[in-house]
Amino acid sequence: MSEPAAAPPSGDAATKPAVTGSSRGEDSYDHLVPMLTEHAGLPADDPRREVLRDRLVQGYLPLARHIARRFAQRGEPQEDLEQVATVGLIHAVDRFSPERGSDFLSYAVPTITGEVRRYFRDKAWSTRVPRRLKDLRLAIGSAMPHLSQELNRAPTAGELAEHLQRTREEVLEALEAANAYRSSSLDDMLVDDPSSGRLADVLGSADAELEQVEHRETVQPALRKLPERERTIVMLRFFGGMTQTQIAERVGVSQMHVSRLLTRTLATLRADLSDPPTP
Amino acid sequence: MQTPEPQQRDRSSTATTDPGADGSGGLAETPTPVEVRVHADPALIPSVRAVAADLAARADFDLDAVSDLRMAVDEACSALVPLARNGGQLRCGFAVADGRIDVICRVPVADQATLRQDTFGWRVLTTLTDDAEVLDADPEWLGIHLRKQRLAP
Repeated sequence: MSEPAAAPPSGDAATKPAVTGSSRGEDSYDHLVPMLTEHAGLPADDPRREVLRDRLVQGYLPLARHIARRFAQRGEPQEDLEQVATVGLIHAVDRFSPERGSDFLSYAVPTITGEVRRYFRDKAWSTRVPRRLKDLRLAIGSAMPHLSQELNRAPTAGELAEHLQRTREEVLEALEAANAYRSSSLDDMLVDDPSSGRLADVLGSADAELEQVEHRETVQPALRKLPERERTIVMLRFFGGMTQTQIAERVGVSQMHVSRLLTRTLATLRADLSDPPTP
Repeated sequence: MQTPEPQQRDRSSTATTDPGADGSGGLAETPTPVEVRVHADPALIPSVRAVAADLAARADFDLDAVSDLRMAVDEACSALVPLARNGGQLRCGFAVADGRIDVICRVPVADQATLRQDTFGWRVLTTLTDDAEVLDADPEWLGIHLRKQRLAP
């Protein structure tokens, strides 16, 4: 029976060294390496394989968490990301074969990262959106700056369609789909690369005259509560008279992103202003 | 202000902008080519604003204008819904014509509620649209009329 084997091993031995902290080198995983070799060497139907697999996954869990954290602040709940990263880790444990030479970490890191990336590509849409629309949304995203510059304003759906050689109907559909993606944080990466800067890093400070306007307005307490970056975008739009396209250019993100940020920030302000503190 | 046109059949005709004054059903029954009626529930506002954005995008508004209008409708509805009588309906009428879109959002209200125009919310509305106006001539209904031009004047 598997009873005596299953109860104790999943706990202490495997988790002790790795789970206690988060900032440790690869050394902390060394004790797991013999288990990896043993796991990979067992036939698929061996009951010991299941036990080893559990211990390995638990042992490497800090690695999955660490990778999930690299994708934090992109509008997806952290628990979901950790879960996806853990699925990636399980795949890595299942597919790893030591005889291929490379060590486990250099195999597991891209496998886990790939799983999280795939999650963002396929699943991080609040409603189900067909693949072709996601692709078209990306194409629109890259055409927008070019066309905006050429036209000196944001393009229309018709102009985008012509530029991308797609039908206007398709473009309209993709624009609608773009609104289903809830990418929202100013801490988002500027491009899909964890090493790139964050939006927050490239935002300048608010102009002095904008500060002036702010002081004349009754909203200042609510505005002051916003993160500085979001406040800047609101100030530029509603007090600086800039269009979304101009803000996008100045800040270095897409117009669609500015639009989502504004919508979200307005909702925050609305909630805050409808429930004002007593003076 | 524009002349009221109570008999609206033609899709391309302009929207009535002072609907409370025409005496034919008041603000509640303002006729427009497109109208969305939902329970006055904040959760339904995204559907209403999606209709606004879709109409503007199809009328070839540039994407800044589409996005501005979406936000303006969001703001207007969010201002009105909390004032609606219990169980009331949020009604939004849309008319696209002559390179502009007119939106009339309204809710049934008790005791002549009105909207302040010295608020940040109102500033948002006037920044996002070319014209924003409170419709409070009808004692039973309170509305906001928004107008957005296709090209910034």
